[in-house]
Amino acid sequence: MSMDLWSLLLSPRLWFFILMFAASGAVLLTVVWFERKAAARVQMRVGPYHVSPQLGGYLQLLADAFKFIISEPIVPRGAHKILFVWGPAVFVTLAFGASLLLPLTPELRLIKKDPSLLPHGLVFSLVVLLLVSISIVIIGWSVNNKFAYIGAAREALLVAAYELPLILSFLAMAILYGTLNPLEIVQKQTLLVGAILNPLAFLVFVVATAMATARFPFEIADYEGDVATGPYSDYGGIFLVLSFAGGTYYATFSYSFLATLLFLGGWALPGYAPGPWPQDMIGHLTLAVWVFLKTTVLMFFFAFLRAAMPVLRLDHTLVLGWRGLLTLGLLAVLWSAALRLAGAVP
Amino acid sequence: MSAEKTTLSGVVKATIDALAVAARNFVKPERITIYYPYERLDYGKMRGWIGLWTEKCTSCMLCARICPTNAIKMYPAPNGKRYPGIDYGRCIMCHFCIDVCPTDALYGTDVKELTWYDYKEMIYTPDMEREPPKIQEPYKSVKVAIKYVGGIPKKVRLQE
Amino acid sequence: MIKSEEYGLVLKEEKLEGGRRVLDLFWGPQHPTSGHTRLIVEVDGDVVVNVTPDPGYVHRTMEKLGETRHWIQNIPLFERLSLPDAINVTWAYAAAIERLAKMDVSPRAQYLRVIMAELSRISTHLYDLGLHAIMIGSSTGFMWGFGLRELVVQLWAMVSGSRTTPTWVLPGGVRTAPPDVFYEQTKGFLDYLEKKMDEFVRLVVKNPVGYYRLKDVGYLSREDAARLMATGPGARGSGIDWDARRVYKYGVYDELEWEVCVEDGGDSLARTMVRICEIRQSSKIIRQALDRAPRDGPLVGEAVLHRMPPKQKETANQLIRLGALFTSRLPEGEGLGITEGGRGRYFFHVYGDGSEKPYRVRISTPSWQNLRAMIKAFIGARLMDLPAIYGSFGYFPPEQDR
Repeated sequence: MSMDLWSLLLSPRLWFFILMFAASGAVLLTVVWFERKAAARVQMRVGPYHVSPQLGGYLQLLADAFKFIISEPIVPRGAHKILFVWGPAVFVTLAFGASLLLPLTPELRLIKKDPSLLPHGLVFSLVVLLLVSISIVIIGWSVNNKFAYIGAAREALLVAAYELPLILSFLAMAILYGTLNPLEIVQKQTLLVGAILNPLAFLVFVVATAMATARFPFEIADYEGDVATGPYSDYGGIFLVLSFAGGTYYATFSYSFLATLLFLGGWALPGYAPGPWPQDMIGHLTLAVWVFLKTTVLMFFFAFLRAAMPVLRLDHTLVLGWRGLLTLGLLAVLWSAALRLAGAVP
Repeated sequence: MSAEKTTLSGVVKATIDALAVAARNFVKPERITIYYPYERLDYGKMRGWIGLWTEKCTSCMLCARICPTNAIKMYPAPNGKRYPGIDYGRCIMCHFCIDVCPTDALYGTDVKELTWYDYKEMIYTPDMEREPPKIQEPYKSVKVAIKYVGGIPKKVRLQE
Repeated sequence: MIKSEEYGLVLKEEKLEGGRRVLDLFWGPQHPTSGHTRLIVEVDGDVVVNVTPDPGYVHRTMEKLGETRHWIQNIPLFERLSLPDAINVTWAYAAAIERLAKMDVSPRAQYLRVIMAELSRISTHLYDLGLHAIMIGSSTGFMWGFGLRELVVQLWAMVSGSRTTPTWVLPGGVRTAPPDVFYEQTKGFLDYLEKKMDEFVRLVVKNPVGYYRLKDVGYLSREDAARLMATGPGARGSGIDWDARRVYKYGVYDELEWEVCVEDGGDSLARTMVRICEIRQSSKIIRQALDRAPRDGPLVGEAVLHRMPPKQKETANQLIRLGALFTSRLPEGEGLGITEGGRGRYFFHVYGDGSEKPYRVRISTPSWQNLRAMIKAFIGARLMDLPAIYGSFGYFPPEQDR
């Protein structure tokens, strides 16, 4: 198959990659801006203002990122050099990479050649998200600092607590739709989205995501009050941007992207079906924007939790995970099985 | 209060209530931030920079003696009297010196925005104490006040 | 392979059963929730086994400094023991000097002192609740506490001329009179404060996340609190019904209607609820005092007033000139001053020797008294409970170290 320049430029994989890269960066900036602004509105203050007053301080984030990047990166003497320096990079790559395995629109996806590999992509992205949490433990170990060590131990305990309910909620949706192919899953959600069909699974997924990505009320591994931001305590400059600001938010983005596909209907617009790529570029781009909008709204909810909730204690969280979420997850699976047997879903 | 907490419905209701409080404040924010230096708050009276009229001073040195931080030194003048000079690195602006002066030679202003480049510039001699220092105002500032309207504090612009 | 002994992870090898070791944590001054003090925490897994406090980081030798300067120069000095609570601290010192030098206080000054002292109590409680909220993790509670405190600080600036360091209480009375605008502004502030405290309780304390963070955490039984001499909300949260305002009857507290807030729980939740209840009671006291305070009259008592020269006596209803006080000497003897601050009771003991410098000033602050009780409450709690207990006692290291 000859690849001339034009077909290369119009290749759906390239467009997918560029869109995900650029749009996830824009979504991240917007979500961080929203988090600061929303928290400020609730808290009787203004938030970012002076850098771009007409835009409501949106460009403050670029100024902050620039400041972090030109800061001097310091590697402590007792730290494990290789893991310390490469840990954040691995963390953010895994966090972002999990979202690359999922399709953005029916034509824009990375897994192009063999569509039967798409279900494997869905499951594999869940596995990659688990590896993200393990990379946090690696980062905590490499810093070589008592507080980071305690933070890493807490993260390991938390992984055991939320991973099983997450898998159960995933299983519940798989049973409900009867297939793991993301294209078919979105097709089945044109009338009723997954969140309405199985609200228990949605609730479990949202709470487990909050636990996984250190959103309030579960910011326990990197809790500022106690372990002085745990694994990230000795990081500064570019490392901090990659791990604390970038990695956790990218992980939230990947989880939200997965949730948009499974629970919020993905790219399904009732009454609209795009033509094939590259003839109907505008249609596909519209659907891509629609997916990003849904992801952003879900991330806004996670960002808003910072303003409303304190932080839960470690053993209460573990009890919540092992007792509450596990029970809800099992109930979600039973509910899905009941709906499937009753024939309510095509 | 503890009995209703441990039931599941109590917990769910309290969580939704907390989120509702945050959401209500998000929709109707109650901001009291003053955008200094574009706006300045009108306090009424503030204990600021201290000035001196040397013609009223009788060199009784009560101000130097009462200063809690020993910020006032007396400088001899050509006419044989001594006049106070204030070291603003030590002054805490408590205005004890103004309140103890028997002849009202020291006067208080409400200038508090003072900066210097070198600590030697902070030590004021009596001839520098006559007029308040000139403050640069790069922005035209508006006076504001906080008034309680309908039970909520609001920032109100005072027309000058 | 990383060897843990090489990398200094474990300082203390205390062998517990099962081959576990105890980890030493320096909860030092460079820590987000330790304040300006160091606590050496020994933790076994997640449970705290022992806490050794290491106070003295902010020691400013205030008691010795008090001996080297004129007694009126000590007023701005002792105010800096605890700036959120400035009026109650200087009131205790002024009460000690009044006892020693036999000065009386004018009725107008009594009412004004009560109003400003209750505002000071509200300011301390808002500061402590704000810090407690951020130690639990709720940054909203922190900002609300400090945002409301901003309004209190503006009221202080209206009365005394300075936002955070009023330097307003003098032995014999007060220094300046509030303008007429103050009374309306304070009433508006109190309405807003009560509304916002309801929202604070719903958002931070009744919120199940915050509730389970505070319930049964740092339990201090009644006998322990009494034996270890806890004071303030630390004692009243464990069921001890003692308040210096009611026992010593200073100011006009016995003429106003108010109640002492006591809770029985003994845990952090009870102490936090004591604080919130005290804010509401303070608001009640201020409203009554605002209505009954005389709008005119001398600001100092007769003992000081008759020593003033006639020219300075003309402004004695608005501003007190300090000449009369500066030329007084302390008689030989001793004087005690006790007030109930936001965090507990302040105790000043002044010895005079006939000169204008005190011979000795002994200060006892609530945070220093609460230290032993707080250490007792720490032991047995989990590591994440340490900030919650610390904040619930209202621990303030500059006050502890003097």
